[in-house]
Amino acid sequence: MSQAVAQVVAGAAFALGAALLAWRYELGLARPLVTAAVRAAVQLAAVGAVVALVFRVPALAVAFVAVMVVTAALTAGGRLRGLPGARRAAALAIAVPALSATAILLAVGAFDVTPRAAIPTAGILIGGAMAATTLTGRRLLEALARGGDELEARLALGDAARTALAPFTRQAITTGLVPAIDQTRSVGLVTLPGTFVGLLLGGASPAAAARIQLTVLLALLAVELLSAIVVAELITRACIRPGERIVVPPAAVAASR
Amino acid sequence: MASEREREAPGLRVRGLAVALGGRTVLRDLSFDAPKGAVTVVVAPSGTGKSTLLRCCNRLLQPDAGTILLDGADVDGVEACALRRRVGLVGQVPVMLPGSVRDNLAYGLTERDDASDAALTRALAAAGLDAAFLDRPADELSGGERARVTLARALTRGPELLLLDEPTAALDAAAAAHVGETLRGLAADGLGVLAATHDLGFAAAVADRAIALRDGRAVTGTPEEILGAGEGERGAADAKHGAADAKPGAGEAR
Repeated sequence: MSQAVAQVVAGAAFALGAALLAWRYELGLARPLVTAAVRAAVQLAAVGAVVALVFRVPALAVAFVAVMVVTAALTAGGRLRGLPGARRAAALAIAVPALSATAILLAVGAFDVTPRAAIPTAGILIGGAMAATTLTGRRLLEALARGGDELEARLALGDAARTALAPFTRQAITTGLVPAIDQTRSVGLVTLPGTFVGLLLGGASPAAAARIQLTVLLALLAVELLSAIVVAELITRACIRPGERIVVPPAAVAASR
Repeated sequence: MASEREREAPGLRVRGLAVALGGRTVLRDLSFDAPKGAVTVVVAPSGTGKSTLLRCCNRLLQPDAGTILLDGADVDGVEACALRRRVGLVGQVPVMLPGSVRDNLAYGLTERDDASDAALTRALAAAGLDAAFLDRPADELSGGERARVTLARALTRGPELLLLDEPTAALDAAAAAHVGETLRGLAADGLGVLAATHDLGFAAAVADRAIALRDGRAVTGTPEEILGAGEGERGAADAKHGAADAKPGAGEAR
């Protein structure tokens, strides 16, 4: 049995085993498990085919990255409902940091300027940027919706609108960065991250795998912080009105109830 | 007709104020004066636009129409942050900022303000709290203490005019009486005081001038007229109630 066949058979057997176990214990999970397994197979096969195509036609890499950015912006934008122009804000907060960092890594020669190196790098950074944008943005909108009295008290004491908002944005950015910081701190001790595992399975030396993983992780720290700052700034701007007034997006108020 | 002299009197002058919030008209063509050196009380039930009115006076809210003059100058022409230091607002919800009472009192003070312990203690005393409160964590205070800290916090900015939204809401009778005395003392020192309340007893005790809000308009008059009318309405309601109760009462008397 070739390795490829063994992989497919082993994977399918695991999924089937899990479904049988779920059926035996009447968990009602058998169908969802099978559906999820089939979905994953179809999605990965499709991505594999597309990536294979992109590797043959490098110009398509740009389109591939664009699709990743749009998908991430739509996902994060949906989580920031209530903010006027949520999708545009999410696109900006995700694309600018993630694509800049990718460009820098390629430009300085840290990774090869090939679709094989650029696409996974951009993907990881876009994913991290999306998580930080969603977490920071949601946290900030919720805090603003609850903090109307405090905002007004600060304004009434003579704060400029931006000054009155600053404690809220600082808190949200700090919260938004927690997963990135924890992931960096615990790397290798709690989990082996995907890049590292993938490189080892692909035949890279442990030293090379660790080096590449570290580069990605450290870039992620900067990208996620920048995403959090950008989304907080865009929300701040959306709240400030002339005359040092603050108007919290009404839908954010409704969403927090 | 207001005399020429009266028109130039320093203080707050509201003319033709109109505000709609979420499509609902809250204030329409509201006009009144709140001169310096006097306590002006706005009497109205909750939800009739008192907070809206106060928030227009320090530009937290932009009215749809009308002008508000402070010492004869349109507040729209005054830089908002500077205006809010001159026109202190003590909100209905006593919000404590992080830190100690001292941190709260000194919050946002600039080099031109007096942030010395002596000045902060004076503000605390005016609000009825002693100096020992300076080092108390603000989030451990009771509702009544918070209400007084918010008053003291507005005073540390050296305001010319003080806006108070339901100042007795969190206070018992004795504390309310003390705040009333404080407001009268501040007015005697030349401060303008504009307090919105539905507490008629408090209004009667502190008001030099009284205004009732009806359908978003102001009914002005002497405190006796305005508060008397309020008492009258309450009296009439009680009388009606009394009439309804009369039958069983009469039955028992037999």
